[in-house]
Amino acid sequence: MGMISVVTGRFLQAFLLLIAMSLIGFIGIHSVGNPVFNIVNIETATPEDIRRATVALGLDQPIWRQYLVFLDNVVSGNFGTSYIYHLPAFELVIAKLPATLELASVAMLIAAPFGTGLGLIAGRRRGTLLDRTVLRASVSALSIPSFWLAMMLILVGAILTGWFPSGGRGSTASFLGQDWSFLTANGLWHLVLPASALAIPNIALIARLSRSGTIEVENLDHTRFCRAKGLSPRRILLRHTLPNISVPIVTIIGLQFGGMLAFAVVVESIFSWPGVGKLLIDSIQLLDRPVVMATLTFIAVAFVALNALVDLFHAVLDPRVRLSSQR
Amino acid sequence: MKLGNLIRAGVLCTLLMSIFLGIVSSTPAQAQGQAEDQAELRIATSYKLMTLDPHFANLNENTSLLSHIYERLVYQDEKLELKPGLATSWRPLSDTRWEFKLRENVRFHDGSEFTADDVGYTIERIRDVLKPPSGGFRSYVSGIKAISAPDPLTVVIQTNAPVPNLPLFFSSIFVMNRPSEGYQTTEDLNTGRSSIGTGPYRFESWSSGERLRLARNDSYWGDKSAWPTVSFRVVENPAARVAALSTGEVDVADAIPARDVASLKERGPRIANIGAARVNFVQFDVSRDTLPGVTDKSGKPIANPFKNPLVRRALAMATDRGVLVDKILAGYGTAAAQVFPNGLPGTSGNLTAGPPNYDEARSLLARAGFPDGFNLVLAGPAGRYPGDAESLQAIAQSWARIGVNAQPSAAPFSVFNSKRAAGEYAVWYGGTSGEAVDVILHALVASPDPERGTGALNFGKYQNAAFDAMLAKAEGIKEGPERNQALAEATELAMADQPIIPLYHFHHIVGFGPRIGSYVMHPRGWTTAMQTLPAGE
Amino acid sequence: MKARILSVLKKRPHGPVMTLSKLLLTTYILLAVAAPVIAPQNPYDPLQIYGWEASSPPGTTGSGGYLYLLGTDGLGRDIASTILYGLRISLVVSIISSAAAALIGLTAGVSAAWFGKWVDVAIMRLVDLQLSLPTILIALIAIVTLGPGVDRIILALIIAQWATYARIARSVALSEANKPYMDAARLMRLPTSRIIFRHLLPNSIAPALTLIPIEVGHAVALEATLSFLGLGVPIDKPSLGSAVANGFQYLLTGQYWISLFPGLALFGLIASINFVGEDVRRSLDPRSKSL
Repeated sequence: MGMISVVTGRFLQAFLLLIAMSLIGFIGIHSVGNPVFNIVNIETATPEDIRRATVALGLDQPIWRQYLVFLDNVVSGNFGTSYIYHLPAFELVIAKLPATLELASVAMLIAAPFGTGLGLIAGRRRGTLLDRTVLRASVSALSIPSFWLAMMLILVGAILTGWFPSGGRGSTASFLGQDWSFLTANGLWHLVLPASALAIPNIALIARLSRSGTIEVENLDHTRFCRAKGLSPRRILLRHTLPNISVPIVTIIGLQFGGMLAFAVVVESIFSWPGVGKLLIDSIQLLDRPVVMATLTFIAVAFVALNALVDLFHAVLDPRVRLSSQR
Repeated sequence: MKLGNLIRAGVLCTLLMSIFLGIVSSTPAQAQGQAEDQAELRIATSYKLMTLDPHFANLNENTSLLSHIYERLVYQDEKLELKPGLATSWRPLSDTRWEFKLRENVRFHDGSEFTADDVGYTIERIRDVLKPPSGGFRSYVSGIKAISAPDPLTVVIQTNAPVPNLPLFFSSIFVMNRPSEGYQTTEDLNTGRSSIGTGPYRFESWSSGERLRLARNDSYWGDKSAWPTVSFRVVENPAARVAALSTGEVDVADAIPARDVASLKERGPRIANIGAARVNFVQFDVSRDTLPGVTDKSGKPIANPFKNPLVRRALAMATDRGVLVDKILAGYGTAAAQVFPNGLPGTSGNLTAGPPNYDEARSLLARAGFPDGFNLVLAGPAGRYPGDAESLQAIAQSWARIGVNAQPSAAPFSVFNSKRAAGEYAVWYGGTSGEAVDVILHALVASPDPERGTGALNFGKYQNAAFDAMLAKAEGIKEGPERNQALAEATELAMADQPIIPLYHFHHIVGFGPRIGSYVMHPRGWTTAMQTLPAGE
Repeated sequence: MKARILSVLKKRPHGPVMTLSKLLLTTYILLAVAAPVIAPQNPYDPLQIYGWEASSPPGTTGSGGYLYLLGTDGLGRDIASTILYGLRISLVVSIISSAAAALIGLTAGVSAAWFGKWVDVAIMRLVDLQLSLPTILIALIAIVTLGPGVDRIILALIIAQWATYARIARSVALSEANKPYMDAARLMRLPTSRIIFRHLLPNSIAPALTLIPIEVGHAVALEATLSFLGLGVPIDKPSLGSAVANGFQYLLTGQYWISLFPGLALFGLIASINFVGEDVRRSLDPRSKSL
């Protein structure tokens, strides 16, 4: 019973979120401008062409009617056709998904071990120079705006040294019917800089979290007991401390993975990485409303789903945590 | 919200999640590296091919790439003179009738023969069948009354009124193959199964906004291309195109930003450039009595100052085109005083852009009754044309020198257009291109008249009866020096009145790597494999 | 409470980094205030900009008779002056928006806690809704809807940030409202507004207050990001973020100074705010002292 109400609560929450977001996004883009000017060639089209195109896209209708039509279509699983690319909007989003997914995954694969390792070491040597350095470096790293970090990575990694390409996705290989970069050497090479840009703030975040977790665990009785028993510090760290701090770390990894989907907007734009984030920014600039709506919906659903998964994981891993419907 | 919808939305959410988690996409794994084909020509282009329908939208984004597959009856050479394409010759039979002789032995990619019937199909499809929003080509053929074919290689076209420019119009229209029945829809074409033209390349594959692959048409009627296959990669970010070219990932990259040319050359690639057959300009609203954002120095609204030609001349005189061309376009542009770069047919040798003359501009402004200048908002698009947003600020710097306070305001292209259409701007930066000088004058300077189709881009509603008459007369003259002279004179008359301030003709810049011998530029600015000649042998 | 804050301010900063960041932040604020006086050029006045001197490298002397200490950007604006003026925009935007967001968030959170029932449900639904999406996405949607302009950016940042304050204030106020002195106030039949504004709000402020410095840092970064994406401040009045963005296209050509220096300034600003903010939070929050 409790489980069911939690799940329905979650769904209701997600549903409300989508409705609110779609309404705001819809009105927002509508008020910004008329996308017809991106579709017809303003340099050759007559005013009549423009008027007819506006009618054909249904943009002459009052906004509330357009919204109802949109809702009706969405319920039957159709986000409409992109004004610019003339393809189903949702298909476009899905087509860009592998790029974003692999970028975020690689970034997290870098960030999680690095961050945890740094945090463990700093926590063990609390108060030492090393600890203070890690702490300060993490505050600094969290202070770098992601776009500037990305630009500096390009400056150092691509322009000054020429080690890495400055943008683009490189060659891809097909797997599960999708194109992936990480399967080719060239693609991996292209992944290094954008993935680092996403990973660095997360390394800092995870390091701080695991540092404070380590300090807390080290002060607990059972760790003292282990130490008294004569276990090697390394064994204590890996066999006792690490499992004990893993819950919050996995939580933050899950949450940040969702956050990466959003921050990918910035990083993907700078590295011209053809993912969901870049699609969102491009579509906003082009007023391609169906694609904007599909992308926003997708990111929101992914984010909510990830949060739910993290909570579920919590409940499974830590019996003290009970799912509560009051969030 | 009914409960049923709620449940359906829930189902949708679940579906979305499962897609996200990769449950749905589980086709068999088939990892395979792409074989590096040395003979393939790889081009990074800014033109994102948005549809495979050659008649959908008259945008370079589409036409540049589709010109490999489809051909036109008439071509334009680098001087914009007409030359034979699928038609070998054409002549007017009377004021309203044209005859086109078609090329023999031309075959479509599916093996069928090219005949007069296909020309008829193409015209009918554009004129009668295509539904909005696809309407960019309609104006070229809307004046056509009837099409007849005395024999399979002759087309006679009858127009409602005289259309001396008809051959020129056909230099923009891609000829399609008449299917066994009915008309192809845009959706059909977007599947890629029926992209059949007569062009030097056949369609292989396409992914929207990302890639287009082509293979050589070995039974092409003209010179065969040196490249067995061509792959276009759509790279919208200029910096990424530059990077792809300098690392050798592609052989050709188009629309290179002028400021990147020097550093690109240092890294090896070579550059080709040509003045574009287009103009960027400042346009004034000369019709309304008061204008938004136009005030005196104390902020009080004033009567529209742009109705006074002296004010327009003063602002033109105070515009430092040198900064625009040399600094913002890094030298890859030509200062403009008319609609096309000097030397192209229909341009006037008497109109040249000089350096700014602030003193005279100030005295003109004083004579017009604005000794202290005034305030205005100078609007423009951002990221549409090379140097657009930067130009707004540079122009504001120039105008400030004669006391005119211009506040630059840049917006994304569609936002800019929506606001201009809504009358929110008083003076703005714009750009246009056209097949010929008269096409631009017809749209940009001639008085707005929906009936005659003039002044479609004359958003400032400038009216000049003397110019209209001169332009109409010039348009009635057959292609040739006489017509060009008449157009040049009409341009001189209009520019003396300064309905627009021509700013610059930016250059199309293409970079190419070591596998390319040379790249032949064309002022229309398309990027094609046909213009790319391989290095060596 | 006041005494606590004073004691924090008076307390000797620990370590050179802390001293440095406090010094840096003070310098930033002083520079921003004094910008019109000390900047060699007013980068918003087209008459003071020389287009012909665009993209001059650092150390060039311009027609204005002063040194372009950090070079000029693609339009001839002096980078040093652009930074000074941009600093003003960045600071004003972030401080105003954080203060307003804190005020709105606090009021909403405390009201939710006090009134309970449907008020609580309504407010907290909204808060949950918002916090279930990344802040940057909220700000992005808001600025697209509101359109460009400095005032709109402030509004967008308020919209993006108020929920964080509201959630904290509500939880604090809930525990506060159950304390005996509140029962006393209620028994004395003090007017609701008086209870909220004179008792509940002041006592719930502390935790939210510790949030402000960090949120100001966030706001600076958010504003910069929006401006970087071309959705923020007007083109002729660059903030630090749009100054960096202007330089992005010149980065590949080796004209590094256009984006490097504004970026460094931005980084320094956010870092010093964060360090000081951490310090304030640590001193006010007894639990985190141990860490």
